[in-house]
Amino acid sequence: MNVAVGILARALTMSTPLLYGSLSEVVAERSGMMVTAIEGIFLIGAWGGFVGTYLWGSALYGILLAMGLGMVIAAIYAFVTVTMRQHQVVTGTALNILVAGLCTYFQRVLFGIPTSPLKIDRLPQLPVPLLSEIPVLGEVFFNQNILTYIMYAIIPIIYFVLYRTSAGLAIRSTGENPVASDVAGINVNFVRYATVLFSGLMGGVAGAFYSIGFLGMFTAGIIGGRGWIAFAICFLGNWHPFGAVVGTLVFGLAESISIYMQSLGSAGFLPNEFFIALPYILTIVLTVSRRSFKVPAKLGIPYVKEGG
Amino acid sequence: MGKRIGASTRDLIITNLVAIVAGLVLSGFLLLFLDINPIQVYSSAIKTLFTDRYMAAEVFLKATPFIFTALAFAFTYKANLFNIGAQGQFYLGSVAAVSVSLLLDGKIPTAILLVVVFAATLLAGGLMGAGIGFLKARYNANEFLTSMMSTYVALAFMNYLLRTVLKETKGEYPQTDALSEAAWIPRIVPGTRLHLGFVIAVITAILIWVFLYKTPLGFRIRAIGSNARAGELAGINSRRIFVIAFLISGALAGAAGFTEVNGVQRMLIQDFNPDLGSAGIGIAILANANPIGIIFASILFGAISVIGTMMGRMPGINVPPSIVSIIQGSVMLFVIAAYYVRAMIGIRRDKKRLKREEA
Repeated sequence: MNVAVGILARALTMSTPLLYGSLSEVVAERSGMMVTAIEGIFLIGAWGGFVGTYLWGSALYGILLAMGLGMVIAAIYAFVTVTMRQHQVVTGTALNILVAGLCTYFQRVLFGIPTSPLKIDRLPQLPVPLLSEIPVLGEVFFNQNILTYIMYAIIPIIYFVLYRTSAGLAIRSTGENPVASDVAGINVNFVRYATVLFSGLMGGVAGAFYSIGFLGMFTAGIIGGRGWIAFAICFLGNWHPFGAVVGTLVFGLAESISIYMQSLGSAGFLPNEFFIALPYILTIVLTVSRRSFKVPAKLGIPYVKEGG
Repeated sequence: MGKRIGASTRDLIITNLVAIVAGLVLSGFLLLFLDINPIQVYSSAIKTLFTDRYMAAEVFLKATPFIFTALAFAFTYKANLFNIGAQGQFYLGSVAAVSVSLLLDGKIPTAILLVVVFAATLLAGGLMGAGIGFLKARYNANEFLTSMMSTYVALAFMNYLLRTVLKETKGEYPQTDALSEAAWIPRIVPGTRLHLGFVIAVITAILIWVFLYKTPLGFRIRAIGSNARAGELAGINSRRIFVIAFLISGALAGAAGFTEVNGVQRMLIQDFNPDLGSAGIGIAILANANPIGIIFASILFGAISVIGTMMGRMPGINVPPSIVSIIQGSVMLFVIAAYYVRAMIGIRRDKKRLKREEA
């Protein structure tokens, strides 16, 4: 019983960064922008989170730095893909390589080659008074860190903005029919810049979660494809915020089970490597089994203003 | 018309050269953070490249697997498909190379063994690629996602084998036993590590060019790439093309496993060459997915990685190896930007010409 509750609580913890990433990816992709730099944004977020916390002694600074750096990468990405109208997959690949180099390089510039890994305090678990005492549910939902609680608020906010406000309508119409949006007076490129920058901000937080909220340190392999999983969840969740929520919970659970099985060591009946690969296998299985996709019509296609 | 093509080729070369230099300069600035004089380390590294035969050969050695993974990306790219999983296909190729070599070395002559190993790597990478193509053709599964994720699965699979059946006899590290000399790819320049694999890679690139541009199947692949619907109306079975394109793409990436295992490492080590796949994408883009261009772009990336390695080894100067990714990434970004610059130059030139013609 305790084991099961532990796995569920951990599942929610591991879902948190994936949800920050995939929700912002949903917002960006609904405007027609695949943020393929998401892996790099996660990574620089993880690094920024670590550095800010380590140097200035507070997780808040770490998260702010992560947001800022995430937005810098997103801004470069938006400039190349929106203003210069270049290929989104290719641009993302270049940025991901660059960021991987930059993080490792500046880790060295700032800290040299330390003899033992540099550690920071992880975000504390904050049990919510009363609520956390509900059996099972309390332990799972209300004994998490601050970023998970903020996530609870972000889900409905993003849904509301995307479907109930004129800004959300502008975002969605930009992804479906940019010409019509343009005629209606919406600045297509402005909307796309905005959604990509938002992705940078959220992706930065997601990355910071891995260093500040989970590991308490930074390593070059800290993200290890999690950005891509958030990217995949956006597809699998059919470009809908609630789909993304379901997707992240499934992946969080897979990751939580994976961590648990690995902690058992050789006691597991399948090799550790299988559980390490589990979230990725799951992505493939879900990609294959998903039948109807509602892809935003102009996803990945730069907007060229006629006569412009 | 002829003049127009001449001008655009000139644009291509000039803008890409500027992009490459810009990438090197930007990365050079970062060296200042470590109190390293970028001009000094760059010039001494480049001088070594042109004077030291061993180091010059290293450039082509590094370029060899790049040619294969870049061809892998370019091949599917021509069909407007994305194979982001070259890294995983390379890993499976490596596993096949080391397994077959360990199984057969000493039992059959080197020449035959190498052919068998090469075929095995093509098969291993090709099957993995074909699987992705099949999922795309049969279930309309997004190949970008499946190929991306398959790399992580292949990595886990390789690590599992290295920890269990393929683990060295000593049982100390997650790596295989060393291959015996009978399984080595012969070296072609004495006193260097450069091996026959480079020649094979160049020939492969030429063959792929011929295949894409001079054969009916190659034409069909490009037709699906430029306009899938029109291609289908013309009677091309796009689903078959998906499988074939991914099969060949995967086989090309798998071949990198042959050159790296039998030509360079002569064993399989955990975490080796982790950036081959992504570098391949960058190289393919730099070369505009042209197989012949890929040869030259690969040599350039080879030079970048050798320069990076040399800078890390200079006495008294400690340039971290991560500078290689920084140079690669920034060169790629500037090359992408160069596409935009060329488009702008082309538009301006057309406008001028129109004005002239009007006048």
